[in-house]
Amino acid sequence: MAHTKPSSPAPDPRAEPATEPDPRLASGGRAPEGTPLYLHLPFCVALCHYCDFFSVTAEGQDIDGVLEALLCEARLRAPASPRTVYLGGGTPSLPSAAQLRRLLDGLDACCGFRASAVEVTAECNPESLDAAKAAALLAGGVDRLSVGVQSLRPRLLEQFGRVHSASEGLDALAAAREAGCENLSADLIFAAPGLDAASWREDLAALLELGLDHLSAYNLAFEEQTPFARRLARGELVAQPEACELEQFRITRELCSDAGLEPYEISSFASRGRRCEHNRNYWANGSYVGLGPSAVSHVGGVRFGNPRAIAPWREAVCAGRPAAQWSERLDADERLGETWWLGLRTAEGVDPRLARRTAGFVGRDDPAGTVAADLIAEGLLEERAGRVRLSERGLPLADAVAARFLGGF
Amino acid sequence: MDTQHIRNFSIIAHIDHGKSTLADRMLELSGAVSKRDMRSQILDDMDLERERGITIKARAVTIEHEVDGERYQLNLIDTPGHVDFSYEVQKSLQACEGAVLLVDASQGVEAQTVANAYLAVEQDMEILPVLNKIDLAHAHADEVAEEIENSLAIEATDALHISAKSGTGCEAVLDRIVERIPAPEGDPEAPLQALIFDAVYDEYRGIIVYLRVFNGTLRRRAMTRMVGTGKVYEAVEIGRFAPVMTPSEELGAGEVGYLVSNIKRLGDVRVGDTITLDKGPEVAMLPGYEEPAHMVFADFYPTNPGEFERLRDALETLSLSDSALSYQPESSDALGFGFRCGFLGLLHMEIIQQRLEREHDLDMIQTAPSVTYRIRDDDGTETEIRSPGQLPPPDTYADLMEPVARTTMLTPVEYIGALMQIASDHRGTFVRQEHLSPTRVQLVFDLPMGEIIYDFYDKLKSVTRGFGTLNYELLGFHADDLVRLEILVNGESVDALSSIVHRSQADYRGRQTLKRLRKEIPRHLFEVRLQAAIGSRIIARESIAALRKDVTAKCYGGDITRKRKLLEKQKKGKRRMRQVGNVDIPQKAFLAVLGGEEK
Repeated sequence: MAHTKPSSPAPDPRAEPATEPDPRLASGGRAPEGTPLYLHLPFCVALCHYCDFFSVTAEGQDIDGVLEALLCEARLRAPASPRTVYLGGGTPSLPSAAQLRRLLDGLDACCGFRASAVEVTAECNPESLDAAKAAALLAGGVDRLSVGVQSLRPRLLEQFGRVHSASEGLDALAAAREAGCENLSADLIFAAPGLDAASWREDLAALLELGLDHLSAYNLAFEEQTPFARRLARGELVAQPEACELEQFRITRELCSDAGLEPYEISSFASRGRRCEHNRNYWANGSYVGLGPSAVSHVGGVRFGNPRAIAPWREAVCAGRPAAQWSERLDADERLGETWWLGLRTAEGVDPRLARRTAGFVGRDDPAGTVAADLIAEGLLEERAGRVRLSERGLPLADAVAARFLGGF
Repeated sequence: MDTQHIRNFSIIAHIDHGKSTLADRMLELSGAVSKRDMRSQILDDMDLERERGITIKARAVTIEHEVDGERYQLNLIDTPGHVDFSYEVQKSLQACEGAVLLVDASQGVEAQTVANAYLAVEQDMEILPVLNKIDLAHAHADEVAEEIENSLAIEATDALHISAKSGTGCEAVLDRIVERIPAPEGDPEAPLQALIFDAVYDEYRGIIVYLRVFNGTLRRRAMTRMVGTGKVYEAVEIGRFAPVMTPSEELGAGEVGYLVSNIKRLGDVRVGDTITLDKGPEVAMLPGYEEPAHMVFADFYPTNPGEFERLRDALETLSLSDSALSYQPESSDALGFGFRCGFLGLLHMEIIQQRLEREHDLDMIQTAPSVTYRIRDDDGTETEIRSPGQLPPPDTYADLMEPVARTTMLTPVEYIGALMQIASDHRGTFVRQEHLSPTRVQLVFDLPMGEIIYDFYDKLKSVTRGFGTLNYELLGFHADDLVRLEILVNGESVDALSSIVHRSQADYRGRQTLKRLRKEIPRHLFEVRLQAAIGSRIIARESIAALRKDVTAKCYGGDITRKRKLLEKQKKGKRRMRQVGNVDIPQKAFLAVLGGEEK
């Protein structure tokens, strides 16, 4: 999840309604061997104004204690031999090299990820990533770094509430390479208030010059309950007109392609063999285990999440209890719709038969297939070689398309 | 109880002039309700009433009061204060011998107060003026007393000065009711004659009839007959309001109380009917009520067409206690099957709509309110046009006529000019102007009803900073140069959006309607074209550009549940809209033909 600096006030006002977690899975049941694993490190130097991930400012926090609690939860719930591992946050590069090393050693001791994982990502922020830190991460078993550069414009970095400069962003990428990182990704945000198309083109080109393996480029979203959403509501920030967003979206696809980074999801671009496997699993509606406060797991058809607060999560996992605060189990129809929604975000699209299998859908008529046929007729989807994907026109309308599959057929 | 110790009265007051507070004080004084137990404003027992601070349905309570060692039973029959509900006021007054005219000493007489007080004057009732909020710094009691005398010709020099809030002077009001309002006259031995002045449906007890006994005595277990409908029921339970329903063995002449029978069908009770004993001698109907005049019509359609039956049941339930509500099946090309409902006014309409949504959990689409028009043929035959869609082509009739109302407005003098201006902008004809006091003026205009409901009332409130009040009564139908304004969505005429307007205003109204629609209709994946037309002539156009970008930038493992719910919510919202052709139109858009300040 190399994208953003989390920020969110605690207690979380958007917390999911407290439902009883599924007793079989949320408590004790361990996910199958190989299930992808996510760890949430909930600390940042400062909270970014647009970010809605759960995090707290690091100063004065018991980081050692939280990392130890993460290992408690890992011993409780981490699947054996995960296929991918992802350290997200928060700012996973914020703890010291020694702290990170202890975390990774402890994690390997309980699930053996170093031997099993095909991809181990750590999200990093420029202010806490130098060559030594990068080297420590790589030595600990991480093989992919995703750096939150976000922008090369000082004014935008300030608007975002970032605590690093543009050159520090570029330095962090250089440091990662210097430390030997061979799978390097950067995050950028476009269509922010005041960012015009020419400037975006210029910044993106400058970054692509560095020869990255992967880029995540996000259209700025005003997520609920963030300072940005409040500033938008007060009229202090003005969202970009649709046409400008669309233009920057197109520029992104064009420049990335030219630089050899092919779009494989709405906001994700990669060179050959460098697609993020961990994230692809989300879009395939696969299972995963999430550890840490606010982390979400999806196991055996049940999705459940930890509280968006450190204290209750920590208390539970340190006492050897699962911390899940909410859960949901969708019926086969809903899972089918969800599988289509997520799959259509990717360039490869959806294989209807595979989607039915993923969703556990056994009905005779495929309701999603009917919706897809309508959308193909409307020119929003297209079918090629048995797979259905967004058309050129449908791509920027992915949500409108998704809504047709969600909320019941 | 002998009738000499009974008083039946109402309180006539404008909204916020303190009627409910005074009623609460009276109940406290009588000891019927302890201060501690009392919910504030006990009379307004519908949520909606409490919330909006207005009384919609008439209710009754019994208050015990002692004067010179004699105990009296005072029956307060509550009345609504709003102009729309003068019909309800009339029902309540019918059951009383007198009324307290409660006027806020800081606000003065309002147009509705005048209208309601006139209803009492017409019935020869004893009217006791009472000035409330006398403790407010800006109270001007003498001037308000002068207004009462000038506007109503009621002697007000000895009006009581009270503060219902603090309780000051409230006991004197009870004393004066006993002293001045005549005791009911009636013969307890005569054949039973009781007037139904209200009825409510209670989920647990069935139908509860509110009645006033004029002659005879109603005993528990008696077999009763409704004179008008001929239905016979046993009086399973009878009782008084003290202030909650308290069973008793009998209700004598002059008393006010309730009756619970095994009345099952809502249609079997008619407010205004007379109750007598089944086996007793024939009695005459008590003077009933005038049929309510429906001023405003609007269509209700269930958002989900499958809920048509539920909507009908809900309307039937509401119309039991609100006999002023009328409804009949209607169908629209755009909206399917629904009901065309008649209301006393805009507030009445709004309240019915909210009660349907809250008490019956119905999602509805409501069309913009309109009035009834008439067309006249060459030979003078008149035909009622109840909705713009019913209007035949212009060459098939001689005249199109609209209802015109004599409209009385009371306003502080400084707003006369502004009020004159908006009245003439709304095609009003000046009738007269009178000074009620040095600071307050009464203006009378004849205004088309359609103009009043379009936005005149809103404008009056805004130009007089809320101080102006308005009352109207129907004068008759007048021919004018009226045309049907049609609205087309992607080339398709939407009957539920059409309206009848004066030709001189058609261009402006057409543009306004399209502007509002443009705001209300969400963007689609294609361009939505909006047109306003008179006949085949397009007078205004707007378009809603196609949605081109709608995509969540970020969607990872922790986001899926929440983002899916957001998308589902969007879709749910869409399902609550109506599809016209392939355009989704939200409920609010159907009110776009109505005026009101552009925000």
